[in-house]
Amino acid sequence: MPHPAAHLTDRTQATDASLAARLALGDAAALDPLYRRHKGQVYRFALLWSGSPSTAADVTQDVFVHLLTRAGDYDPARGSLSPWLVGIARNFVRRRAGCVESPAGDDRDDESTPPSAIDRRTPETVLLGNAELETLRKAIASLPPHYRDVLVLVELTERSYAEAATICGIELNTVRSRLFRARALLARRLDLDSSVRSAGSGAA
Amino acid sequence: MRPSTDTLDERLAALSRALADRTPPATVDRAIAAAIARSGRGTAVAAARPFERWLAWPIALAASIALIGVLLRESPPELPAPDGRLAAASTKFLPVVPQAEIARSTDAWVVPARMPRMALAGLGLPVDPALASETIDAELLVRSDGAVLALRFVR
Repeated sequence: MPHPAAHLTDRTQATDASLAARLALGDAAALDPLYRRHKGQVYRFALLWSGSPSTAADVTQDVFVHLLTRAGDYDPARGSLSPWLVGIARNFVRRRAGCVESPAGDDRDDESTPPSAIDRRTPETVLLGNAELETLRKAIASLPPHYRDVLVLVELTERSYAEAATICGIELNTVRSRLFRARALLARRLDLDSSVRSAGSGAA
Repeated sequence: MRPSTDTLDERLAALSRALADRTPPATVDRAIAAAIARSGRGTAVAAARPFERWLAWPIALAASIALIGVLLRESPPELPAPDGRLAAASTKFLPVVPQAEIARSTDAWVVPARMPRMALAGLGLPVDPALASETIDAELLVRSDGAVLALRFVR
């Protein structure tokens, strides 16, 4: 009979938590369902952030090997597993890009990734088959890392503002302001109207 | 005519859609499978120890049943912290049954609980007699049949 308190978390979250707990206890097989469940979102985040499929693949592998060895660090009381994994992916992809964490209030627009660091010949270039999207991808990859974080999380991977704040370790208002600036900067680089009408929209 | 900002939204949405079904290459799948296999061998060796197989498991099962009895009798079903959130875990999970038993339990849940320290003795954990009457907060990994597989303490 399940304990009466089992209703405190929904089934998906509880299942992730129980799999992570089994993993922490040395049951390596518990990683398999977690990998199948979360590999796509981890890979897509790293791909959109880095613009490089090879970096995204390496980061995805790093994240799940980290989970295999450090599952005990995950605390279900602090939130679901998915943002925790994306937060680890963010750390790994930033480390590979040589980024340093900028303070919450330090939103400079002049930290763009140098053009030489952007992967310009990826399979996505061919697979997307769309010059406009490829231009957008390169423009996103050239944004300052702290703007790229919130843009990729909120606009491209449909994370809520609250989840983005948790993943980046910043305040909710900082997410809003960075997203506003990221959109304005992106629009300017794409030579679009920068009035950013819907920058305040999206899940909170 | 200059494009509107809807164009930016549309382009972002189009990029998101274009990559929505992307998954890591098969090389990553294989690397993860290999990592699982490497780690799994350690678990299999541990599971074959005679002590765990013949002595620890029955003791732990009996202790689990006793602990469930205590929890159902004395513990409230929900134990949120004063701020309304669940408390943060402060220790690693401690197994109270053999690893192999945990590995076989695919239907387990993490459940918050408050229990008397004395109940830990039934799980084979040391208890300071001077503190035996106090209660502690913990998270239990509980199987659907009620058996406790592991626990960790929370602040």
